[in-house]
Amino acid sequence: MDGMTDSVLKVEKLVKDYGDYRAVDNISFEIKKGQILGLLGPNGAGKTTTIQILVGITNMSSGKISYFGKDFQKYRQASLQRINSTSAYNTLLGRITVMENMMTFAGLYRVKDRRKKITELLERFEVSHLAQNRYQELSAGERTRVNLAKSLLNDPELLLMDEPTASLDPDIADKTLAWVEQLRSQHNVSILFTSHNMSEVEQICDDVIFLDRGKIVSQGSPADHTKKFDKVEIALTFKAPYERIIKILDSKKLSYQSHETGRVSIYSPKEEAAVIIAELVDAGIKISNTQIHQPDLKQVFIDIARNRK
Amino acid sequence: MKPASQFSLARVWTMVIHEIYITKRSLEIFFDIFIFPLINVILFGLISRFIFGQTTTNQYLVLGVLLWEIVTIVQYNITVSTMWEVWSHNLTNLFISPVSIVEYLTSHVIAGVIKTSAVLAILAVTTRAFFHFNLLHIGVTNLLFFAINLAIFAIWIGVLLLGFIFRFGTRMAAISWGLIFLFQPLTAAFFPLSVLPHWMQDIARVFPATYVFEDARRALGGGTGILLKSNLLILFLNILYAFAALFAFKYLFKKSKDSGQFARNDLG
Repeated sequence: MDGMTDSVLKVEKLVKDYGDYRAVDNISFEIKKGQILGLLGPNGAGKTTTIQILVGITNMSSGKISYFGKDFQKYRQASLQRINSTSAYNTLLGRITVMENMMTFAGLYRVKDRRKKITELLERFEVSHLAQNRYQELSAGERTRVNLAKSLLNDPELLLMDEPTASLDPDIADKTLAWVEQLRSQHNVSILFTSHNMSEVEQICDDVIFLDRGKIVSQGSPADHTKKFDKVEIALTFKAPYERIIKILDSKKLSYQSHETGRVSIYSPKEEAAVIIAELVDAGIKISNTQIHQPDLKQVFIDIARNRK
Repeated sequence: MKPASQFSLARVWTMVIHEIYITKRSLEIFFDIFIFPLINVILFGLISRFIFGQTTTNQYLVLGVLLWEIVTIVQYNITVSTMWEVWSHNLTNLFISPVSIVEYLTSHVIAGVIKTSAVLAILAVTTRAFFHFNLLHIGVTNLLFFAINLAIFAIWIGVLLLGFIFRFGTRMAAISWGLIFLFQPLTAAFFPLSVLPHWMQDIARVFPATYVFEDARRALGGGTGILLKSNLLILFLNILYAFAALFAFKYLFKKSKDSGQFARNDLG
């Protein structure tokens, strides 16, 4: 690797302003070889803008991005040759065939022995039978697999994956995750992964960054995040009027999530859980079922999203 | 790693082939660049024969319609082809690959020239068969100069329009087809410049294509020989405009990336 460094991507003090609105606020992070980093946050947190800047389709306002130890602005083409990206929100050209799309990208990445490489990748993702089909005729799952095949054409050392499992059925989503893990274990590919599915992130990411309103609010392994998170989820089923329990929770300034009439999840410090339940009972709330869940990434995510109000 | 941009002919050629894939698979494009021009030429030819008979005026009109197709097809290939990528949400996929904007534009110009050459050849044969009109009567060298100048005219207009599409998004889609037709009367494509009102003649003189159409009609009249000096002057003027258009495009492209519009174009 160039630059005698293990760093695949280094982001330093990245800022993106849209007029008066700061979409990305002075964020810094690094991805090492073979590392899978999750980039999480509520809608509008700045994830997509960050990825758009990282692949060079949106300009940063200030900061520095380095791929493989080299400045991205100076080494744009050389950097893009060694990375690739796949997103649930981008598709290939619909009216031409899968093979024609793949040939185009293989040509742009100057892949040697193109047909062989494409055939191998389509076989790996179990879509080789679709090679002569128009891309627009494929199902969402088939498109995702073709997109993944496209994203591996240049044997990338870093893959940016923006919600790759969005809109996939559980079987294909599970297979996709298995392919992602295989990429890392067999080819030592580094991955920047965004998803709204927290169990996926916990399953495959070594480290996770939580973004909120453009800022990094938490950074570390999934276990670090849940350790730092001192709250538990109290899942209650109750019979009292919904407004009454909400009034009590609001008066105590507790973070909660209402699922449907008669069910609510309250996020509270572990040591206060019993007190909260007792107070609700004292207030005349008839609780029919109580479950206390240990914190997971989903709770960390919800807490960040709720506390931004 | 190699620094800065490395222009790659291989990537340009890949994009040209990509263009050919799209043309081959799109009935709309096939109609836009092959069928409609053919209908246009036959229709105008028949109307002018009906009105003017087999006269020089009839020949002027057929010549104008033929040469005008160079402008429309080259410009179409630069702007509308990009719109297909935008509508398919594929534009950003292309630009996260190592292809540079210069390579992208170059490939569209080459694809446009290839398609235009094919269409012009078909149209020339058609007008010969239907209207006994021989395009080569203006002289092979003149024809080559006229075609190059009209292609450059279409390229800089196409590049400028593409800049506006990148900057302002798909709401500018209509201009990718429509705006070029504004130049049809303004460049006196189908009739002598003197037909235009005086104030419009002043506007028409701003555009290099106006001089091409005027020269083409003179050449068709015969006795002009190779209009070398005039053609070179038009070429010079065209190149000046092309530089200005590229400068404006560069600004609009940067603004598009600064504002996030370039990435949003693909999100529909």
